[in-house]
Amino acid sequence: MLRLWPVRQLSRIQNALGLTQTAFKSSQPAPAPDLVEVFIDDKQVFVEPGTTVLQACATAGVEIPRFCYHDRLSIAGNCRMCLVEVEKSAKPIASCAMPVMKGMKVKTDSPLTRKAREGVMEFLLVNHPLDCPICDQGGECDLQDQSMAFGSDRSRFTDNAFTGKRAVEDKNIGPLIKTIMTRCIHCTRCIRFASEVAGVDDLGTSGRGTEMQVGTYVEKMFKSELSGNVIDLCPVGALTSKPYAFTTRPWETRRIESIDVMDAVGSNIVVSMRTNEVMRILPRLNEDINEEWISDKTRFAYDGLKRQRLTTPFVRNSKGDLIPTDWETAFFDIADRVKNIVPSSIAGIAGCHTDLETLVCLKDMVNRLGSELLCTEESFPMINSGTDFRSNYVMNTTIAGIEESDLVFLVGTNPRLEGSLVNARIRKSWVHNEMCVFALGAPVDLSYDYQYLGDSFSVLKDIADGTHVLAKALAEAEKPMIILGSDALQKSDSNLILDTVRSIAKNAKKASKHPDWKVFNVLHRNASQVGALDMGYQPGVDILKCNKPNLVFLVGADAGKLTEDDILGNSGVIYIGSHGDAGAQMADVVLPGAAYTEKDAMYVNTEGRAQIGRQAVSPPGMARHDWKIIRALSEILGVTLPYDKLSDVRSRLAEISPTFDRPGRAEETGFEDISDNVVIDKMAVKGTEAPVAPVLLKLRDFYMTDPISRASPTMAKCVQAYDESEKNPYSRPEAS
Amino acid sequence: MSLLQKFANIGKVIKQNNGIVGTYLKLFRIDAFKWGDLVGEDKYGNKYYQNNYYFYGRNRWVEFPLSVGHDYDASQIPAEWHRWLQYICDEPPSQLPLPKRKWMADHVENLSGTDRCYVPYSTTRPKIEAWVPPKRNS
Repeated sequence: MLRLWPVRQLSRIQNALGLTQTAFKSSQPAPAPDLVEVFIDDKQVFVEPGTTVLQACATAGVEIPRFCYHDRLSIAGNCRMCLVEVEKSAKPIASCAMPVMKGMKVKTDSPLTRKAREGVMEFLLVNHPLDCPICDQGGECDLQDQSMAFGSDRSRFTDNAFTGKRAVEDKNIGPLIKTIMTRCIHCTRCIRFASEVAGVDDLGTSGRGTEMQVGTYVEKMFKSELSGNVIDLCPVGALTSKPYAFTTRPWETRRIESIDVMDAVGSNIVVSMRTNEVMRILPRLNEDINEEWISDKTRFAYDGLKRQRLTTPFVRNSKGDLIPTDWETAFFDIADRVKNIVPSSIAGIAGCHTDLETLVCLKDMVNRLGSELLCTEESFPMINSGTDFRSNYVMNTTIAGIEESDLVFLVGTNPRLEGSLVNARIRKSWVHNEMCVFALGAPVDLSYDYQYLGDSFSVLKDIADGTHVLAKALAEAEKPMIILGSDALQKSDSNLILDTVRSIAKNAKKASKHPDWKVFNVLHRNASQVGALDMGYQPGVDILKCNKPNLVFLVGADAGKLTEDDILGNSGVIYIGSHGDAGAQMADVVLPGAAYTEKDAMYVNTEGRAQIGRQAVSPPGMARHDWKIIRALSEILGVTLPYDKLSDVRSRLAEISPTFDRPGRAEETGFEDISDNVVIDKMAVKGTEAPVAPVLLKLRDFYMTDPISRASPTMAKCVQAYDESEKNPYSRPEAS
Repeated sequence: MSLLQKFANIGKVIKQNNGIVGTYLKLFRIDAFKWGDLVGEDKYGNKYYQNNYYFYGRNRWVEFPLSVGHDYDASQIPAEWHRWLQYICDEPPSQLPLPKRKWMADHVENLSGTDRCYVPYSTTRPKIEAWVPPKRNS
């Protein structure tokens, strides 16, 4: 069942009447289907019944031209570009919408097919403006390509006096997407994406025939965290990127495959680079993580890489001002500071974008100096087995595994804003697989319907005790998933929350019919968190608040968790990072590092999947790669790290954990049972009053969360546009 | 011309240049072995000579002051003497001064290669905007 608009209204009414959705579905696998034999250009292929002619042609290696058809969207069949001739059929058929039939003989290159394509192309071009030279889609435009490949070789267009080409007014749908609606060919991909994948029914059509328009009907912002994907989906230049407008042509840029660090999902991206400048960021296909979507922060925050950058080392002078200096002075200044203190009071804090190479160098250097005080900014409760087992703190089922699940219980998280692609996966499963979603936390708009259980800890306790309805649903579910947000674990009562959720997961796992199925999942917010925990960093800065360090290395730590009061004496704070933000402001020595597009670096996403990001541009000014800074500093401090090349650091990483040695793979976690049975300190059976709530509640909060997105003018414009849209009476209110 | 006259001319050169040593030094510095009438001198100390004994194109020349040493070049000649030196006019500015207008800028020699040379600068915005640390006491 597609849970689209009318059906959703029905379920909304059901919810209002208090009819709970129960977690069951028939999991009887369909009997192995007999394959259907079809002939594509007289070539015999066997495909499953129900596949479309277009897909059958793809199996035979024939690509049918198309505009409206897209793999991940429902079939519209309105562009007619995919017409093919089928034997014994009077008319050419739209191959994207036609299921295969036994013995079907498809001719993809017959005169009739070619004539049909030429005809369709002619009609499309009659009302398409001839502004390719100033169109941003130029060079990557489906209409351009297909008119070259399948269009007629001559024009019958005679209206050279410009009396009557269709013209449509442009729409303003926010600061990210530029619309030139005259170019629209009405493929409706953007509309289907918005309503099916993004879950925002803002786009639609109005009018019919020549008067048909794609838009929002009343002018409003297209409020979705995935809105940028319609730019990629648009086969023509009707929807293009506003920040990228008129900057480069696709053939001028070099494309570098990299990894996103804006959230812990680790979306695969392509960085387009020209003249040592990041021009734009596009998604890269990875079925296990982001499919082919990326969130707006990933796509548009790149202009934050060009502002607020640290381009030179700074040392704080006697007046308390940071003065630009050279590397040598900064290094010797640090050496002086280190010389005068007890080695065991040196600490290191890893921030949200720190890569594995930097983490391992920092850890090795601080350990060699004689200290064990290494932690991450993001906290995670160290109860029972703490972070000893990987299964305690990663998303065990993996993101692709969400599609197998039939019940998802979200605890203290807003996945839509914390991991947009995880939320897109949940929505996909909710639409196609009858998944039930329960949420405890804040009543946020997740783009799908879910049963809201409030935000009190007592509900969690009831579920753990088995007295709540959800406890039964979890036990009955085939493959339940509990996703615990890292957001909910940042407060002092997080021990209790984690412990209770673990026991719910334990009960659900016990009742599960699939012994391999892992119930417990953590959705992190920071790209560095899982890698740091894998490496043995202590989560949270509480350990420093107890131990009062003398000297702190902040590596990209900008969340402001550690204040100057937590540091003993005045020996200082050393900041290594790419942006001037909270960390650099409190630092005594600032060393300029590289941002994620400027280094070959590994990151571990929330599933525990290590991935390699490639360097696209060089670090600005005197900035250097972070791990090299630490390597050079270690030499000045007399504890030279034995890593001279990136490969040396990588082999050290492989020594620490084999998961770092297998980039691209999410290693299956183990030892859950052992981990579940480790109980070191039994929690006092008392409740907590504080609500279990995520921090990011509205789309407004999503745009600026880290140093890069805070420095980004585009993200600032998004926040501004969001505030404006709140005043718009026609804007759809958020929160379900 | 007789050989005797040539010797007489050598004598004139040597006389004008203060003896054999002076002549040798002049030859060393400006690669010229000439005698002629001093037509005028500008405010920079350049001395201008004319001698129609030499053929047209070589009959007017300049001797740069000793203060510039070997670092002399044609851009050190001000415009009005340039005019005479390049045969644009017949009378030197010492005889027929040019009108001095108030908009006429002072002569500046070519400063390329010196520390006062012109350096072009970019007016485009930098690709990377660096962070400027806030002052602590403000």
